Amino acid sequence: MEIIMKTSYTYILFTATLLAASGLFSSCEKVSPQGVLLGNTSVDDRVKQSMLFYTYHGDDMDWYLVDSIEEYSFLVGSDSHITFDPGRLSEMMQTGIENDDLFYCHLGDLADTKPEYYYNTQVAIYNGTRDWRFKYIKPLIDEYHTPEDGMYYDKRIIPTSRNYAKSWERWTVPFYPVAGNHDITHNGWSLFCQQFHTSFYEFTVKVGDSYDRFIFLDSANGTLGDFQIDAIEDKALQNDDKPIRNTFTFTHTNIFRPTMNEFASTYCREELYYLLNKLEEWDTTIAFWGHVHAWDDRMFNGVRHITMRSMNFVDHPNGGDNLLVRVTVKKDGTCEVSPVGLYSKERSKTELESLGYYVTTK
Amino acid sequence: MKSLQRILLSLLLMSATCTALAQYYSGEHTYDGENQNEASASVTTGKNIITGPCIGNTVHYKHYFNDHWSVDGGLNAQYTKQLYGFKAKGEYHFKVKSFHMFASAELLYNRYFKYKTNEIDGNISIRFERGYWDITLGETLINYTIGESGYTELPTLTFGAHASLRPRTNNWNVGLLFRNYDDFYYENWNINWGLDFYYRFNPRWKMFGEFNIRPAGSMSQLASKYETTGKVGVIYRWK
Repeated sequence: MEIIMKTSYTYILFTATLLAASGLFSSCEKVSPQGVLLGNTSVDDRVKQSMLFYTYHGDDMDWYLVDSIEEYSFLVGSDSHITFDPGRLSEMMQTGIENDDLFYCHLGDLADTKPEYYYNTQVAIYNGTRDWRFKYIKPLIDEYHTPEDGMYYDKRIIPTSRNYAKSWERWTVPFYPVAGNHDITHNGWSLFCQQFHTSFYEFTVKVGDSYDRFIFLDSANGTLGDFQIDAIEDKALQNDDKPIRNTFTFTHTNIFRPTMNEFASTYCREELYYLLNKLEEWDTTIAFWGHVHAWDDRMFNGVRHITMRSMNFVDHPNGGDNLLVRVTVKKDGTCEVSPVGLYSKERSKTELESLGYYVTTK
Repeated sequence: MKSLQRILLSLLLMSATCTALAQYYSGEHTYDGENQNEASASVTTGKNIITGPCIGNTVHYKHYFNDHWSVDGGLNAQYTKQLYGFKAKGEYHFKVKSFHMFASAELLYNRYFKYKTNEIDGNISIRFERGYWDITLGETLINYTIGESGYTELPTLTFGAHASLRPRTNNWNVGLLFRNYDDFYYENWNINWGLDFYYRFNPRWKMFGEFNIRPAGSMSQLASKYETTGKVGVIYRWK
């Protein structure tokens, strides 16, 4: 009888632990219970879709800057985790527009897992596009075009480039994100790709005779996956043959772990070493990483690695002086990295509704 | 009602049988009182998304000084991955009530030739073992070097759980595993899982095997395909 009691006690304890663990996983919206073992969103599928978009639109992504621009800058942010207030993402774009940054890069986890939060992300992009267009986009008037043609151009781009002239509505804010793990849970990819189309792409910025290369990699699942690795190895990205001055890479999952008390997975061993070698091969100037919501800045194997803080309200309710970074690429090709602050506070539901936002209940 | 009683009675009897068997558990990983040496060799094959199809061998040698102390050395050669490694491990076995406890310290070196990377891992762990299951908890320090750059990761929690269908004393067994390490690597929060089995021909010879799924990512990252391997091998024990 004693034996049976002891055994029952062990079984009950074991079962209770399992139940508690499954309860924890299923009660937390940020953790996908089935995702602990195997996910249902494939990085290969996302990359195939991204490659298709890139095949048709890759050339349009390049920036050919006019000669009067000798140096330029871009902003990098990460892990905005937008819920019902898109404020911090809007603030990022406003900051960029005010400071004449050429474009804005985001390292993933744009919105926090729920479909309705993507609507709020869309609002931020829409408002950013509106303000950006009014600052940079001009009606194209020459011997062939009149404003009535509906053709417009970005005054910073040289006229010979393929994407020089577009109709007004085709100009959108130059916001370049990659998918993060929160962007793909709960069918998030269908919402992400509807807005941004791609999570694996690259473009160049041509200043004078120099090209700077910007590579965006999809690591939302904690891996680049079969197809993306093959695509990289097969040189599916188009700028391998250009004389490149600087290369910048952007992806979500981090390599370096700034803190001990985070339970975020990084890449498996071979992939980690593959990536570090690949960055060296690309002669990368700066590799940007997100995911862990913590800052790390180090040189490794000739590459500067910057792991970004998050820019969301939960981690930084009062904002901070260093939630974004601005990279200024100077005329001689050297880069200067400087911190950029975000200070907006999360608005209440009532305040947002009074501004015309639709706020869902939590 | 009768069928319900029958089911309950059967479950009760099964539970009592399992318990009785568990009480006679002598410890699969302990000194059997006779054979102080143990050697194993295995072949691993599978597919990894970075290195493609993979095949390799591992060999182990373990020496039991007595019922408490043992040392273990191993070599790993993964030919297609161009990964070669060796490790040394010391273990202390003791009992707390009905638990077999194993405190161990391990040093592992891996050379990833393809990626010009040297990796050194240090691990300390404690394993709680009963007749049907075991749990491992520990800390691992991972250092890697590429070229002239080196990085030591902050300590990583090491964890593992294993449950068997039959008690360890049985001549055959099938089990489930769940862990963030394997014989020759330690990961962060990438959780391996799979099936293993063994068949004991006699007290000296045993065959074992493992089917291991090693995903990338975990928790909120929606784990994705990374590596799938199968391993089969033999263990021989002698005086």
